[in-house]
Amino acid sequence: MTWQNKYRTIGLSALIIIMAAVIGLFLISSNPPPPNSPATAPSNHSPGRVIRIVAAENFWGSLAQQLGGAHVNVTSIVTDPNADPHEYESSTANARAIANASIVIVNGVGYDDWALRLISAGSVPNQTVLNVADLLAVPNGSNPHLWYDPTDVNKTVKQMYLDLVKIDPSDAGYYAQRYSSVTASLAQLDGQMAMIKQHFWGTKVASTESIFVYLANATGLDLISPPSFMDSVAEGGDPPTQSIIAFENQLEGKNVSVLVYNEQTLTPLTQQMKQIAAQHNITMVGVTETIQPSGMTFQAWMSAQLLQLQSALNTSTLVR
Amino acid sequence: MLLGIDPFSAILAVLRYQFMQHAFEAGTVVAIVAGIIGYLVVLRKSSFAAHALSEIGFAGAAGTVLLGINPVFGLLLFTTAAGTGIAVLGKSASHRDVEIGSVLAFALGLGVLFISLYTGYATEAYSILFGEILGISGTSVLITVAVSFAILVLTALVYRPLLFASLDEEVAEAKGLRVTLLGVIFMVLLAAAVSIAIQVVGVLLIFALMVTPAATAIRLSRKPIYAIAISVIIALLATWAGLFISFYEPYPVSFFVTAIAFAAYLLVRFVYRR
Repeated sequence: MTWQNKYRTIGLSALIIIMAAVIGLFLISSNPPPPNSPATAPSNHSPGRVIRIVAAENFWGSLAQQLGGAHVNVTSIVTDPNADPHEYESSTANARAIANASIVIVNGVGYDDWALRLISAGSVPNQTVLNVADLLAVPNGSNPHLWYDPTDVNKTVKQMYLDLVKIDPSDAGYYAQRYSSVTASLAQLDGQMAMIKQHFWGTKVASTESIFVYLANATGLDLISPPSFMDSVAEGGDPPTQSIIAFENQLEGKNVSVLVYNEQTLTPLTQQMKQIAAQHNITMVGVTETIQPSGMTFQAWMSAQLLQLQSALNTSTLVR
Repeated sequence: MLLGIDPFSAILAVLRYQFMQHAFEAGTVVAIVAGIIGYLVVLRKSSFAAHALSEIGFAGAAGTVLLGINPVFGLLLFTTAAGTGIAVLGKSASHRDVEIGSVLAFALGLGVLFISLYTGYATEAYSILFGEILGISGTSVLITVAVSFAILVLTALVYRPLLFASLDEEVAEAKGLRVTLLGVIFMVLLAAAVSIAIQVVGVLLIFALMVTPAATAIRLSRKPIYAIAISVIIALLATWAGLFISFYEPYPVSFFVTAIAFAAYLLVRFVYRR
């Protein structure tokens, strides 16, 4: 027995030593990071080189691409229009893309915490991180669909422009030109929203998700759906029973003209609400979380959605 | 696709990234601990306890996310508390299922409550369920190393009596060993090991490191120390190879780790017969 004991002790201590050695090696290799490695973002932009930008979602990526033009290479991680971005799981390719980027754009307020984790695990020096929610000083727990708020989009685009000029001052003129054309096209969207506001101000509408809250404000529509229902569906949780009853009563009593739903978060519950709306001849409009189809620009996508909303509101007034 | 590529420079290319270094550091330490504790899990037929503790840990992690603290602390707190409770409530291994099931159900209920209270997105919960080895920060690596070190030291201290009690509980008790105390110590060790392993493979895939390598190893050697060594080696290879392959292939790390561990098990189970 004793000789066996000895071997066991030796075996265990050997394991501990191996473990300590492996960790020691890794810690030495990780501090400081090796020079000239591709994991280090280029701090001084040299002419002719493109700035690598990674956007967590394609709506922010599209805007960054338009601002940077030929001088940037934008990778948008969440683009798949058929998958709900919230249920996203990161792959090594995405972690690598983030580690190689000079600018990383994230939405923030809990919408893309996976991206924040990848950024901190990568700990790339001189990397510019644009956290949209932080920029707009949105408090924690707020509705994260900031790209549906025209004012927020304008502020974010401005910051993207400033970041580009800071990293690549030699092309400042180029960026200024592109910035003014992007703001001009965003102003056209504002015009579309103003049109809806003028014709349908105060019209009562419903939405299965908080995705529509900012847009309802911008278009002057009265969104009467229970907020706890919309938040729970957006966050992937179960809505409180009372909110489901209230939602159903609003649809059955035909208190709303239009039901807006998110095409990318169809749960059994939201399907049920759509069914009730269909039974009561309430016009429905589908909106999407990300740009769909993903080849479109932000403005073209948003403009198409606004047109759909407007025609749905028109139809509902004809029906009544 | 790796044919024709110098393997050494390929490994260097992987380790050039800070996030991959963190993943390898945490993965290595967790594989060693899981390989050792996993052997005791298989020996004591406590697979259900390992699974239950990981899901109980999920509730703890959801709770700490709610408070805005590093989820590792919630994991440790909940799993150790539940582990102690299970060991004290269920005196003998044969009756432990019921206690585990009851504690597990309540903990999962708490987890659902915490997630609904959390005002952010359910993404946090998904990353706990499936692991986020690519998002481990330097601080988390240090916590993992510290906890692992404590687990290994405690295991070394109670190794002999714990092994005896695990092999034959009744004889060990008759010989005057404090079997209940050893049971509690084992559950605490398991709880801590599960808590750190969750970062790598997530709550749902904990078996890939905790049970599969040890189950394979037990078929290869009857001697505990050899079986433990084989179990550690399989866990290490699965983690390293899984991370390495995921660097070149666009699929999640967890899938590769579990697939490699399971392939090793199948190989030994059906190809290698004694």
